[in-house]
Amino acid sequence: MSFFRKIRKSIYNSKNKESKIDSEAIFSLSSATITLETKQGLKPTGRCALTVKSTSGLYFNEMKDEIQRFLAISKPDLQFDYRTVVDSYGYLWLILAGRTIEDALAAITAVVDTIQEKGFSSQILASIFEFRQVRELDSSSEKNNNHSSMRFLVYNYKSNKFYPFVPFFGERSRDTENEMRIMATLQKEIPFEKDMSMWYPLWDLPL
Amino acid sequence: MHLSASRRPWSRQRRDTGLTVRMLLSFSILALLYIVFLSALVYVGLDFISITIVASVMILLQWYFSDKIVLWSSGAKIVTRDQYPQLHDVIERIIARNNLPKPKIAVINTRMPNAFATGKGKRSSVVAVTTGLLDLLDTEELEGVLAHELTHIRNRDVLVLTLASLFSTVAWYLMQFGFYSGGMGYGYGYSGRDRNNAGGLAIVVIVAMLTWVISFLVIRAISRYREFAADRGSAQMTGKPAKLANALMKISGNMHRMPTKDLRQAEGLNAFFIIPAASGSTIVNLFSTHPPVEKRIEKLMEMEASMS
Repeated sequence: MSFFRKIRKSIYNSKNKESKIDSEAIFSLSSATITLETKQGLKPTGRCALTVKSTSGLYFNEMKDEIQRFLAISKPDLQFDYRTVVDSYGYLWLILAGRTIEDALAAITAVVDTIQEKGFSSQILASIFEFRQVRELDSSSEKNNNHSSMRFLVYNYKSNKFYPFVPFFGERSRDTENEMRIMATLQKEIPFEKDMSMWYPLWDLPL
Repeated sequence: MHLSASRRPWSRQRRDTGLTVRMLLSFSILALLYIVFLSALVYVGLDFISITIVASVMILLQWYFSDKIVLWSSGAKIVTRDQYPQLHDVIERIIARNNLPKPKIAVINTRMPNAFATGKGKRSSVVAVTTGLLDLLDTEELEGVLAHELTHIRNRDVLVLTLASLFSTVAWYLMQFGFYSGGMGYGYGYSGRDRNNAGGLAIVVIVAMLTWVISFLVIRAISRYREFAADRGSAQMTGKPAKLANALMKISGNMHRMPTKDLRQAEGLNAFFIIPAASGSTIVNLFSTHPPVEKRIEKLMEMEASMS
């Protein structure tokens, strides 16, 4: 295959990928949380977020209203709280606090479906799941436990893969060691981003 | 040179030019001296057996002085407990737990993070670290790196690689010998030879060349394998493979590959659809003495996962 055809094909593929969201991939997280708890002592808090690049315009606002309506209707069934925030980058955050990871996943997937229907799927950036250390690991040092209480799994909708994000508390630096631990535990169970240069941080999460 | 009895597991990824150049230079000068000396012997008209004896004596001498050569060429200074109490503490903790003899400890004053082990026997070994390494790593990461070096000593990697190199060294000398006596005609004191003999020598040269090339590749394969073995040993000694993996990330400079730009900014720059570069070609792997850092980190993290 010639060089140019290769490039054209990769552009074509990426465009295709952009519009196609793999909902199977994100649901694999549901069973993987059990592994994460037994092996790493990390438990999902049920808090998660979906972040979408906002655009101005009637259709986008319409979509926002529809999401709000959907969440209001399904709130009693799934038992979660939600709020929306627009951050300094101009991204719309939908923050959910559910009881279980399954509730959170179901709600997020439903919202993603709504966004897709309205034709804004390329605006979806990522969903983020929060975890908490419930059991200390013998091998992790004290220093790390003090610093990083928050651990996140980021699901990138552009690559349909998960990656870890463990920021040090109050700093713009991250605990790479714990991130690598999470990768080692989960990489066989969920679609995982193995290229660490793609692990983009999300500083100051409104989560 | 072939007998470079040093183990330098960290230098490949991060181009540690200072140290590498100095070591390469000193061993190249040594190699050149040998070749000049042996050629002179051939020129004078010494026979094959006496040249072999001289070569063996030189190999033995180099073996005997190898650690001194390495320390000298790297600029490493042996340090006492008073000078670096913490470094001594960390090493003593590892050797006490794993019943190993204490090596000499040396420090190199350079900002490049690096470490190596050298020495002939378990007792006369030296573990050297750079000041850059001490600054960069925390205690547990340093422990992982030092345990890696101590595993090299425990596994007698220097001896193994030297013996393996001996083969290629002998082949190298045969090649030289063949070039000077056979390849360049019959003038140098071999006036009585006929053409059949020259053909025989040509075969010796070809076989020696092949042996040298093959042993060169085999030594590199062994070396790469022993790096993994040392990582494994370090994981067993400390029980914390993730710490060594993190140290590797820091030393290799892979930490800088971790993006610091926020996902929301990166998305705007369309950073996602760039075709990923092929990682580590096979040819490069074949010639390198150290496995790619990514592979080592991956294996260490697998150990970490199986431990918890």
